Amino acid sequence: MTMQALDQRAVRRWLSGLTSGNRRWIQGTVAAGTLAGVATIVQMVFLARIVHLGVIEHAPASELAPYFLGLVLAIVFRSVAQGVQTHLAARCSEQVRRTARRQIHQHWCNIGPLELGQTSAGSLAREWIDHVDALHGYFARFLPQMTLSLIVPLLILALVFYLDWLAAIFLLLSAPLIPFFMALVGMGAEKLNQQHFETVSRLSGQFLDKVRGITTLQLFGQTESATEVIQQRSDQYRKITLKTLRVAFLSSAVLEFFASVAIAVIAIYIGFGLLGYITYGPSSDLTLFSGLLILLLAPEFFQPLRILSQHYHDRAAALGAGAEILARLNDDEPVFSSSSEETESLKATPPAPEPVSGNETIELNAVSLAFRADHKVLRDVSLVIGKSDVIALTGPSGGGKSTFLNLLAGFLVPDSGDIHLFGMPAGSFAFGWLGQSGFLVHGTWADNLRLTSPDASDVAIETALRNVGLGPLLDCREDGIFSQVSEDGQGLSGGQARRLSLARIFVADYDVILLDEPTAGLDSDSEMFVLEALHKLALAGKTLIFSTHHQALLALANRVLLVSGGEVKDV
Amino acid sequence: MSELKPWLTLIYQRPGRLFMGALLMLAALLSGLGLLALSGWFITETALVGVLLAASLPATINLYVPGGGIRFFAVSRTVSRYVERLYNHDTVLLLLTDIRVALFRKLAAAGRGQRRELTGAQWLSRLTSDVDALDTLYLRLIAPTALAAFVALLLFGLAWILFDVRIAAGVALILGIAFLVATIGVYARTARIAARQSDQQESLRMAVVEHLEGFAELTAAGRVGKHGAWLMRQAHQTATEQVKADSRTGWHLAGSNLLINLSAVFALWAGFELFRAGAISGPALVLLPIALLGLAEVYSMLPEAFGKLGATQASAARLNRDCRSKDIEHVPNTIELPEGTALLAKDLTVKHPEHAPLFTHFDLQVATGERVGILGHSGSGKSSLADTFSGLLAPSSGASSSLPCAYLTQKTVLFEDTLRANLLLGAPDTSDAQLWRVLEMVDLAERFGSEPDQLDTWLGNSGSRLSGGEARRVALARVLLSPAPLLILDEPFTGVDAPTREKITKQMDVWLDGRTVISLAHGAEALPGTDRVIHLGV
Repeated sequence: MTMQALDQRAVRRWLSGLTSGNRRWIQGTVAAGTLAGVATIVQMVFLARIVHLGVIEHAPASELAPYFLGLVLAIVFRSVAQGVQTHLAARCSEQVRRTARRQIHQHWCNIGPLELGQTSAGSLAREWIDHVDALHGYFARFLPQMTLSLIVPLLILALVFYLDWLAAIFLLLSAPLIPFFMALVGMGAEKLNQQHFETVSRLSGQFLDKVRGITTLQLFGQTESATEVIQQRSDQYRKITLKTLRVAFLSSAVLEFFASVAIAVIAIYIGFGLLGYITYGPSSDLTLFSGLLILLLAPEFFQPLRILSQHYHDRAAALGAGAEILARLNDDEPVFSSSSEETESLKATPPAPEPVSGNETIELNAVSLAFRADHKVLRDVSLVIGKSDVIALTGPSGGGKSTFLNLLAGFLVPDSGDIHLFGMPAGSFAFGWLGQSGFLVHGTWADNLRLTSPDASDVAIETALRNVGLGPLLDCREDGIFSQVSEDGQGLSGGQARRLSLARIFVADYDVILLDEPTAGLDSDSEMFVLEALHKLALAGKTLIFSTHHQALLALANRVLLVSGGEVKDV
Repeated sequence: MSELKPWLTLIYQRPGRLFMGALLMLAALLSGLGLLALSGWFITETALVGVLLAASLPATINLYVPGGGIRFFAVSRTVSRYVERLYNHDTVLLLLTDIRVALFRKLAAAGRGQRRELTGAQWLSRLTSDVDALDTLYLRLIAPTALAAFVALLLFGLAWILFDVRIAAGVALILGIAFLVATIGVYARTARIAARQSDQQESLRMAVVEHLEGFAELTAAGRVGKHGAWLMRQAHQTATEQVKADSRTGWHLAGSNLLINLSAVFALWAGFELFRAGAISGPALVLLPIALLGLAEVYSMLPEAFGKLGATQASAARLNRDCRSKDIEHVPNTIELPEGTALLAKDLTVKHPEHAPLFTHFDLQVATGERVGILGHSGSGKSSLADTFSGLLAPSSGASSSLPCAYLTQKTVLFEDTLRANLLLGAPDTSDAQLWRVLEMVDLAERFGSEPDQLDTWLGNSGSRLSGGEARRVALARVLLSPAPLLILDEPFTGVDAPTREKITKQMDVWLDGRTVISLAHGAEALPGTDRVIHLGV
């Protein structure tokens, strides 16, 4: 699903759904902001009163002192309220982002590893980290400011109305025009803004692509021309963006214009009123106090709106990032409600299922699966695999070997038919899985093995590592299993990484072990160790099912199945 | 701050533009200040005159100058702000281009050993955010800081002229403190958190990627929820730190606002003494405090910028590290290439920094037209040897010379571009017919012939639309197109099945007639046709 195809309203709905559990933080932010606004008004009242008393009525310093005290108190109060406001806003955004991350992770669990593998881990991580962080400004700044830009101007308007209704009408006249114009310009700007967001990501994508292949460019002597391409594209993009900005900035210019004009008109109106040149309306009652107060409040009237327009890009960023997150969440399954209790639950461990049939066999009953309507990968496959069998799956690539394994793992759900392993549905209990690429985390050897078997003893871990031929490697590390595996996977070859994964399976002592081409692309050393390790697992009575073309692995199997043309047959 | 230096130098390469941008910002700010201060002056003046007129005392007032001034400031504020924003965003985009280009050049110049570890997706996305942190440095930080200091000085001058030097000094003192609170104060209190933040972000990103890469294994083991919860905690911890930094920034913002307001209060309080003494007029008394209140606009930009400075520094430091060129430039000992020899290596020692040497005393002579295969298990240093032959890796001793070569690296690198653009990298002037011929040779002609865009087929995200074997063959085709007399092929057939491999090998022999080929692989079956085979590490 593309970004454009996603209804913006859906994104906004999702964003507001995120706030549902965090209302009080937003309310607190707004309350603090309102208090700061009130303090500002009080500050201006004192200021105008002091000027009036001092300049017009020539009040002595002693008489002014309490007013000065009030002024300082109002200022201090205003600052405290401001500080509290930012603190609450930061907390609010923290909570919201947490909710969003939980939702995304839940989605990952729902779609399962196979589907997840279709997208690069890097971009999924980007969504989980960066896109979610892009929501920050929206919740911390834009959303509370939306409410504040309504409350504070209304408070000021009420006061100005009390002081001089004609001046209030000037403000009122310019105020509704502002949202109107801003909406008008904003509608265009928003689209442009989103376009901008896309262009930026495309452009940095292109830049990164060149950086990624910098060695290749060097080898072909093309770095200079690539630099030129980067420069040209960047420049092109700059020109396009400027066109966008010319329009986008109009909205804030409109606001600026009305604010300035309103202040100017009010200043001149008050001046003329004070001189007595205006003979109608309330202006004959104007004093320096009321006049100055109105002038001081006028910019504060527009300030919340100005801040809002400054935070407009926060909204655009959140909508952009939100659209991408939502596109992922909507990919195939409905989004789970964030507040539900099941967020931390697992697809892999639903409540213990009732054994259905044979507890000692793996059974497939009329299993069919099609990725496209016209092409069934598996057609009505029925099969029984005994416990402790060693099964090799062969067949042409694209014949469905991996699909078959994924079905057994429960990573894929068949269109029809059912699969039971020892009486339990696929994927409902822990089993061993060895994918095409090994997987290791930043940490020690022990960390890596305890990832899947947290209770494994040190001895068990060391034994498992030796079982897959990683013993020599351990011996040359100072801290044995407590030494770091590597930095960024350096120091471990692909084969060694896969052996590390295999060691996890050794430690965990699973009954069923599924392996996807366990020897593909391995060097002869690793291959030998993997074969030996699988042999040991087979001797230990594990049920092994693997796809392979490898002769030695086929020899290891006690049953070979040919997966081809939608069928699975014994060879 | 030293880590920012190279980037600041880059930014300051456009002094005219920066100055112009700052000038526009100043114009916008002064228009705003002027509008309010003049209005305050005008209202006070009219109030005083109004009182006299009401008492039927003679009084005159010039309405045209202040009225015109107010109108002028109202318009100039709007115009200057609009122009300023447009102009400065243009500057930011220009700087972004400058930074990207400079960074790319530096990366290209840096040694490959440096870059070796810097190819992961994490690193690339980090690079993006690091560059982004730098490109707004001018607009967010440098210009507002300069502006805040300059306008404070202007108001100091104004206070001196309107009031007296004592009051001006007092105002300057308060503003000075406000300036420190909003700049260095924020920096001092957030730098460590902000710097740590990006490190945490990085380790979090790595952990997420690991989590995703191991998702199948973790799901199988029933551990994905536990590990996911652990990730959530990590993310939460990072977010909490950020809240801390944000709050501190917020408090500093409030503090600097407080001081600015207090400076206005002070000016008013002290001004009254002068007013009562008859040294200044009422309108002048009002003008200065109102102008001071207007300072909040520029000062409020500072705390956030300085709150991010720690992170920006960390970004700059990382970028500097990424493109640091090798400490010691090895001057490769070139040796004369005898007639009829395509490659000559003498007494080579190949090693990576801080690792044991992979080879010592390695000798090899390859005659032109010869096909040499080099076999070695993974980890034996094949690729490093190939890197040395091709000149990517300098030998730590000994010498290697060769004819110009085309090198197929072990890692398949395709660009997000058309198939044609990817192929032409090797030989920019190749005709389409020639491209199809080479595609035919690597058994891809049929594959792309059936694509609607033919040679213009877009190879998506790192060529992800292709299978591993197909991508490998495109990369192979690219090297085969190169006119270089020597080809070095490192594991040319990764992911290519045996029948295809044989087919390609046969056709390659004809295509490469007369050229020299050195191919490296882990097993004999993965080598194209060879005249002789060398085994490594036995």
